[in-house]
Amino acid sequence: MPPCLVDPPPLEVLLQQVANGIVLGSLIGLIALGYTMVYGIIQLINFAHGEIFMVGAYGGLATFTYLLPTFVQQRWYFALPLVLIGGALIAVIVAVLMERFAYRPLRHAPRLAPLITALGVSVFLQEAIRVFYPNATSALPFPSIFVDGGASIPVGGGAITVPWSAVLLIVVALGLGIALQIYVDRSRMGRAMRATSSDPDVARLMGINPNRVIVLTFVLGGALAGVGGVLYGGYLSNINIDIGFQNGIFAFTAAVLGGIGSIKGALIGGLAIGLVKTLGGQCLWGGTQYDYVWIFVLLIVVLVFRPQGIFGETERVRA
Amino acid sequence: MTSVRMRLGQAVRALAPRVRELRFAGGLLVLLGTLLPWATRVFERGPYPDKSTLQFFTAPFALTGFRWHLFLIAIATLALAIWTLPGRNRMLSALGWSTIAIAGVNIAYLFSEGGLGGLAIGAPVTLLGGIAIVLAAHAASGEPVPVWDWRLPWWAEWLLLLVIFAGLLFLVASLLTAGGIGVTSPFSGAIFLSFLGAAGGLLGVLHGAGLLGWITAMSERHRVFSVLVLLFVALALPLTSAGTEYWMTVASNIGIYAATAIGLNIVVGLAGLLDLGYVAFLGIGSFVAANLSGAAAAKFGIDLPFPVVVVICAVVAGVFGAIVGSPTLRVRGDYLAIVTLAFGEIFVRSSQNNIAGLTGGPNAIPNIPAVEAFGTNFSSAVEIGGIKLPGGVLYYILIVLLVAGVMLVFANLKSSRLGRAWIAIREDEDAARAMGIRTGSAKILAFMIGAILAGIAGAFFAHKTATVSYESFRFLESITLLAAVILGGMGTIPGALLGASLLFVLPEKLREFADYRLLIFGLALIVIMRFRPQGLVPDRHRRAELAPEDEPPSLAATPPPEKVPT
Repeated sequence: MPPCLVDPPPLEVLLQQVANGIVLGSLIGLIALGYTMVYGIIQLINFAHGEIFMVGAYGGLATFTYLLPTFVQQRWYFALPLVLIGGALIAVIVAVLMERFAYRPLRHAPRLAPLITALGVSVFLQEAIRVFYPNATSALPFPSIFVDGGASIPVGGGAITVPWSAVLLIVVALGLGIALQIYVDRSRMGRAMRATSSDPDVARLMGINPNRVIVLTFVLGGALAGVGGVLYGGYLSNINIDIGFQNGIFAFTAAVLGGIGSIKGALIGGLAIGLVKTLGGQCLWGGTQYDYVWIFVLLIVVLVFRPQGIFGETERVRA
Repeated sequence: MTSVRMRLGQAVRALAPRVRELRFAGGLLVLLGTLLPWATRVFERGPYPDKSTLQFFTAPFALTGFRWHLFLIAIATLALAIWTLPGRNRMLSALGWSTIAIAGVNIAYLFSEGGLGGLAIGAPVTLLGGIAIVLAAHAASGEPVPVWDWRLPWWAEWLLLLVIFAGLLFLVASLLTAGGIGVTSPFSGAIFLSFLGAAGGLLGVLHGAGLLGWITAMSERHRVFSVLVLLFVALALPLTSAGTEYWMTVASNIGIYAATAIGLNIVVGLAGLLDLGYVAFLGIGSFVAANLSGAAAAKFGIDLPFPVVVVICAVVAGVFGAIVGSPTLRVRGDYLAIVTLAFGEIFVRSSQNNIAGLTGGPNAIPNIPAVEAFGTNFSSAVEIGGIKLPGGVLYYILIVLLVAGVMLVFANLKSSRLGRAWIAIREDEDAARAMGIRTGSAKILAFMIGAILAGIAGAFFAHKTATVSYESFRFLESITLLAAVILGGMGTIPGALLGASLLFVLPEKLREFADYRLLIFGLALIVIMRFRPQGLVPDRHRRAELAPEDEPPSLAATPPPEKVPT
């Protein structure tokens, strides 16, 4: 019997965990969008996408620390957009360079080669930040870039609190997800993306330049990850170089869970992962020390029994 | 990219009429550079090695170390410039690249040590000479590697093989000890890398002359003899300059990782199943052995004899291997890689949290007693027949036998019915199934056998290092093992051995770059996949999973269309 059923925690504790799960889940969903788009178009598990998220967080921090004057730093309505742009810009630049120099030469190589390259890029980016970013060997404090404090909702015997920075994270993640869905559904480049995803050869015959579509995919994914990195930093108020790997794996799980290639699926998968982590840590055996384990167990179960995910199309032939 | 390379090739080929002069110029420049000073002064950390400062002139012609190797390269280049030998340009190319590597490494070190002011004229002159040699070699290239068909009486060939393998032992021992221990001696990295460059040049020349192929063919003819001599040679390493406790430990660690890498090679190289959590099996073996060793922190207070422990480790790891391998029945390709990664992460998390009190968590399981047999402690020094052998030598011998055993298993499996089934699955799983291969059980067996080998290696690891902590089995270690297999060449034994040696010796030697180790590692993975995905020792007659495909590319290889979509 799981500990929760034997000795149920108070309602407000459970609801607080649900709230935390939704916050984490929105973030993971935001990162998962990048995974799902890249996989949808070139069938590459871009392992290094989590590191793009991490680079975005450091880019935002660098923008805040080294570029903004004190006057701007102290006013979040000036600082927040600038830091977001800074983080997203750095993330996009790194993502495009990565596509150009690491993945594009391997586009026709057998499947293992790009996956191993992606691992190499992942290690490289992590170490590049650790070695070259000042004092990045330990966790760095992330400045407050939004209103301090949070919403407090009284429930039962206590209250659940959600910091405003977390609310911002949820709103932005949902907003960007919806915007992306509309972009892919309605715009001309979005149509080109969908065409390339379903059949790259026919898409090229129709006059679509696949390189442009692929670069655009990396740009969009990088921008979302960069924004996610900055908001994550603002929410947790410190960042370290390991955040990319962990959250990247979770985001990949979310993308698969939701059905790879599906934008809606990535967001919903992200929320599911967030809830599994917080509620699993609260309710299942071993407590928070084992919360990661439940995500990996979920990952294995999904990949083995429903690899097409919740919203995915029927399984394609993979080799 | 391609057009740049083509233009470069044309420019080099335009030098063809001047190739004779270029050869002589290169050789003479290297000779000159060897005799000129390389460092302008004695640095703070001590004089640059091999009398590279002006002090050279107080003891002229006393060439040592990398300058001696460069001297030999210069002489060889001049000799090749005079006489025409088959494979001349290939040999020259190897000599030139070796020169560039040696000069480049030392320029980088001199520069980082003393800035531009520390660099004397000798190094740039040598570099220039190396470039001239390479240009000369490539301006007139286009010859095949010569093939020799000399046969000698069997006893002469045996003798020759004995001499060659003894030379190999000498080379390995010198490479291992080159530059001394990374922490204590300054410039150890420079000395080691220079020596590596020279050794690579030597191998390149032998290959270019067709001698390497000849030796390989000869050792193939006397297969059993060669294998026995190689084993004997490996066991003789403690008698060389590497025969100190420190180098024995380094060699033992390399051996353990090499055995694990060969096990991984079964899963990845033969069966083509990418396993990103493989090091967990090494961990499982280690923790099982640690718990059965009678260590104070172990969960079970029993102390079983080592051979029994090895068997138990193999069984436990094999069971876990079958569990991790079971998703292969439904999951393929990169999804499978992710599943194995998830298993690996679950293992790390659980052992970090001291699951069921079996792993010691962050405290690890320390003080695992050494293996004892016939009243001898395996960590202590021994004396056999008046020859004093350093501590750790018994472990070294044990681990050499382990590696030999693992190699035997790998070689036999590779050519067995099961091995051929794995290779068929690697190349095309659906076709293999259509041919009547039971793909499911073959894949699970690949995981199981790989896991068993790693579990056995884990038992050795636990006793050799005496402390088993979850930190030794993290994701990065799996990636390093995978990189060892890929760098060396998938599906081959020498490849896994070479890859493991390089990846575990380099950090030992380049301690001053410890900060950049992983950065370079990540970059190396990207570069290898881009330029040499088949590895250093590619599998000879089978196309590896990573070799480029012959199919016409479907995307982007053709020039992109001019117009944007309408």
